[in-house]
Amino acid sequence: MFDFSDVTTPLHAFLSRLLGESLAVVTECVLVAVALISIYAVFAMIMIYAERKVCAAFQCRIGPDRVGKWGWLQVISDVLKMMTKEVINLRQTDRFLHRIAPFLVVTASMTTFACLPWNKGAQIIDFNVGVFFFLAVGSVGVVGILLAGWSSNNKYSLIGAMRSGAQIISYELSIGMVMLTMICLTGTMSFSEICQQQADLGWNIFRGHIIALPAFIIYLIAGNAECNRGPFDLPESESELTAGYHTEYSGMDFGYYYLAEYLNIVVCAGIAATIFLGGWAPFVVPGLDGFNEVMSMIPGFVWFVGKTFFVIGLLLWQRWTFPRLRIDQILTLEWKYLIPISMTLLIGMALLVSFGLTF
Amino acid sequence: MEQQGYFAGLMGGIKSLCTGLKVTMREFWTPKITERYPENRKTNKMFERFRGQLILPHNELNEHKCVGCGICQMVCPNDTIVIKSEMREGEDGKKRKVLVEHVYDHGRCMYCMLCVTSCPHGALAFDNEFEYAVFDRTKLVKQLNHPGSKVQPKK
Amino acid sequence: MEENEKSICPETPQPQPVQEEKKETAPTDKSTSQPTAAPTPKPAAPRPTPPPASPAKNEIKPEVVTPEELHERLAHLKAEGYSLLENLTGTDWGEEGMGVVYSLTNPETFDMTHVKVIAADKETPYLDSVTDLWDIANFYEREVYDFYGIIFLNHPDLRRLFLREDWVGHPFRKNGYEESNNPEIAETDEPISDLAVKYTLTPDGKLHKEETPLFAEEDYVINLGPQHPSTHGVLHFRTRLEGEIITKIDPHLGYIHRGIEKISEELTYPQTLALTDRMDYLGAMQNRHALCMCIEQALGVEVSDRVQVIRTIMDELQRIDSHLLFFSCLCQDLGATTSFLYGFRDREKVLDIFEETCGGRLILNYNMIGGLAYDIHPNFQRRVKEFIPMMRKNLKEYDDIFTGNVIFQNRSKGVGILSKEQVISFGCTGGTGRASGWHNDLRKHRPYAAYDRVEFKEVVRTEGDSFARYMIRLDEIRESLHIIEQLIDNIPEGKIAEKMKPVLKLPVGSYYSAVEGSRGILGVHIESKGDKMPYRLHYRATGLPLVAVMDTACTGYMIADLIAIGGTIDYVVPDIDR
Repeated sequence: MFDFSDVTTPLHAFLSRLLGESLAVVTECVLVAVALISIYAVFAMIMIYAERKVCAAFQCRIGPDRVGKWGWLQVISDVLKMMTKEVINLRQTDRFLHRIAPFLVVTASMTTFACLPWNKGAQIIDFNVGVFFFLAVGSVGVVGILLAGWSSNNKYSLIGAMRSGAQIISYELSIGMVMLTMICLTGTMSFSEICQQQADLGWNIFRGHIIALPAFIIYLIAGNAECNRGPFDLPESESELTAGYHTEYSGMDFGYYYLAEYLNIVVCAGIAATIFLGGWAPFVVPGLDGFNEVMSMIPGFVWFVGKTFFVIGLLLWQRWTFPRLRIDQILTLEWKYLIPISMTLLIGMALLVSFGLTF
Repeated sequence: MEQQGYFAGLMGGIKSLCTGLKVTMREFWTPKITERYPENRKTNKMFERFRGQLILPHNELNEHKCVGCGICQMVCPNDTIVIKSEMREGEDGKKRKVLVEHVYDHGRCMYCMLCVTSCPHGALAFDNEFEYAVFDRTKLVKQLNHPGSKVQPKK
Repeated sequence: MEENEKSICPETPQPQPVQEEKKETAPTDKSTSQPTAAPTPKPAAPRPTPPPASPAKNEIKPEVVTPEELHERLAHLKAEGYSLLENLTGTDWGEEGMGVVYSLTNPETFDMTHVKVIAADKETPYLDSVTDLWDIANFYEREVYDFYGIIFLNHPDLRRLFLREDWVGHPFRKNGYEESNNPEIAETDEPISDLAVKYTLTPDGKLHKEETPLFAEEDYVINLGPQHPSTHGVLHFRTRLEGEIITKIDPHLGYIHRGIEKISEELTYPQTLALTDRMDYLGAMQNRHALCMCIEQALGVEVSDRVQVIRTIMDELQRIDSHLLFFSCLCQDLGATTSFLYGFRDREKVLDIFEETCGGRLILNYNMIGGLAYDIHPNFQRRVKEFIPMMRKNLKEYDDIFTGNVIFQNRSKGVGILSKEQVISFGCTGGTGRASGWHNDLRKHRPYAAYDRVEFKEVVRTEGDSFARYMIRLDEIRESLHIIEQLIDNIPEGKIAEKMKPVLKLPVGSYYSAVEGSRGILGVHIESKGDKMPYRLHYRATGLPLVAVMDTACTGYMIADLIAIGGTIDYVVPDIDR
């Protein structure tokens, strides 16, 4: 199995020798940041393209196919368009908050993105309370959304932002609860350890079996709601609130919301892949040694990205099937269904673990 | 709304959602219905009755059937058609009204067919052309009779 | 099927005239229905046009009342059972003065009676308002006020309905209106007043104007529209919110008002047809059918059996088209974009059928006075027969993906409930009325064209909520398919157009005909002074009552429900802003 620390350790040693310890760390930080941002951008583009094509296929359409072969240049031209468009500052807005809000959203999404374990040893933010950190940073995004709604001085925006606040804060509960269920199984909050454990013992979704599967589904629902994605896209529900909290944004400021929305899906799917589907751990079947060997040959990041896209596929599938919920239905779903079920799951998992019924 | 039990409602809901997912998954694999327009330009054929733009059909001798009576101009609800005609002496020595210009403002036309149906000589028709976007509105004002054309002699 | 074949067979005496006769048996002694014209078997030769003196089938002879008696008489008629204000036509009779024709209908038997009133004062005419009798009178009277300047006393909110508030004059007046007072293209923002205007008569006979604010200073009012994704056109709802709950809606109309009725007064009868397709573009066939029928009946022209059957098929195809668009747009409004495209995919098939036969997809121009523009295309029957099973299959798909969906069900059941009394008072015909348990299908109650010889169910539900309105439409697609199925193989031979005179002049009189449009009763009211142009042509738009009811239907529900309610009530803006 390819270990990314095989690359980083010699690099670190080389840089330390060249620049001294402290400068080396600074250089590494810059390198990592550049890598992170470029991966982030690449993933955003892939996501936008994938969403368009997949949604088109569900809708009996072809999707973008004019710019470049199969329309693969479409996203690039869109990004160029977005970047060159004027950022309009409206007179009645709260200028400072209005400008800062998209950055909060994009920062939150980028920081959570940094939590993803790409490969063995290839993790940017990793420490013993990684899950906790992920949850904490992820909720900064809602501040950005609320600020956007408030500072826009637009009634639609305000309603959208308020809906978003109610929705995200509620769904964080069940996300936390589901994660707790899985932590109960793994016994650690560090993403790298969770992955390592799954590489050694098998994927959590198999280990936790009857509890982990519903937990996975709840995670997908709640994660989807956290991303403000359909059918939970009420904060921006275009048929009611035109564009909700980002009605008054234009140009790249709007682009940040757009970017953050797509990346949040990647993050949501990536965390689902990490916690339930083994992260970078290959698919192994005990006893089939030949098969397992072939599987282990495939590098970890391929596994991780593959699983992430599988989960993204599930999310897209349901997003392009269901009608949007109403705000009271969203809260009913959370408080009357998801929370009680996830609590039951937590207790169930605790029982499984204490009786040793996990694999 | 009838009050269902908590679990019955939950299960019913999940079932309905799964039915929906099944439908979209099936459609995911069905052939797509998009028409690739500029590519299929050659094969794409409009229905023969499609009303594209008004024309004054000419035969191979550059003759049309319009005698310049002006009925089409009169029946048009939108003042789309302007006929310019003059009295000319024909070969037989009789003075006849002759069409000089049949001007059609495509930008005003609302395709109601009144000109075509009311024309006593069947001189007008709609063609199947649909790519008529232009950059300048004045280009939509067209002269329908070809230069040098004349009336088809009665048989 | 066999029965149908028999009845469609051209040898059998055609039951049509009898049916037509039934339509106008208004119980008042003013009833003008022709003494049953013996149902003559259809001859192939063109029948001579009856002398203009004989009253046409659809001629109305309204009972004339004085302005003082008006309110009392209408209240009396309402108590007698004429509790639907089907139509209200303002007219300027020139020398006689300005006035209004009220067309009342019994919502059970669909008998009609008409009351005409002429205001005494010619400069500032005023009449009593009947808003206390019918809710829909509110909008109808505002329309008349807007166009004719007739003031309705005690009307709670007599603002202009369609024109801008800074408009000078009342354009439908035959004299005294100066067009140059208004700019050709308005370049200023439209002022929207927050004041409801009420006129009362002081004891000394003077008009007293009083203004009350529509919204309070601290109200949270959001503007849904004029540019909004789910108002289905350029329509503006000023919506007062309490959190997410709607407490009041004030529709603001007229953004795309083209004055079709006014334009029609300067067009010959065949020319007026061109505008009908542009009113309710999802009911183009039916609109034109209504106008053609009105003119034909006024002229005493009988169209051939073939035309009747083809018109029926086309009307039903149009209904399917309209309901498919309804389904699609509702899905889109509720966020189910995929089902939206499924609906459009199937609608495309209907449009192809239309295009092949009529030459247009949306603007069809198919019906003509006295017949049809073309015969059906040779492929028409084949295409329709292919379409029917495909549509049935896809309706199943709609049920799977959308109707049964728990999210949709929760969003639509019990939302926007309208009672039967409310829909009648608001005159909400069509699917919206039928969802509240009101049997109002004109195809059943005043059959026209070939509807009396096909077998179909009038789809009625009793819940009155959004889900019922939605289901009505889907079930109506099934019924329409059923109707088409019965007729498509039995199109009788015959002429596709009667020979009409080059210049059509309607005999002097008032005429009213109505058809069941895609979303309710579509009526045409013609006042003729014997010219080749109508003196007054008024459409009973299906959409206006549907928008008028929005305030009642949405109050107390959430802003997301407004979308669902608006979607299921199914108004089309060009129909409202004629």
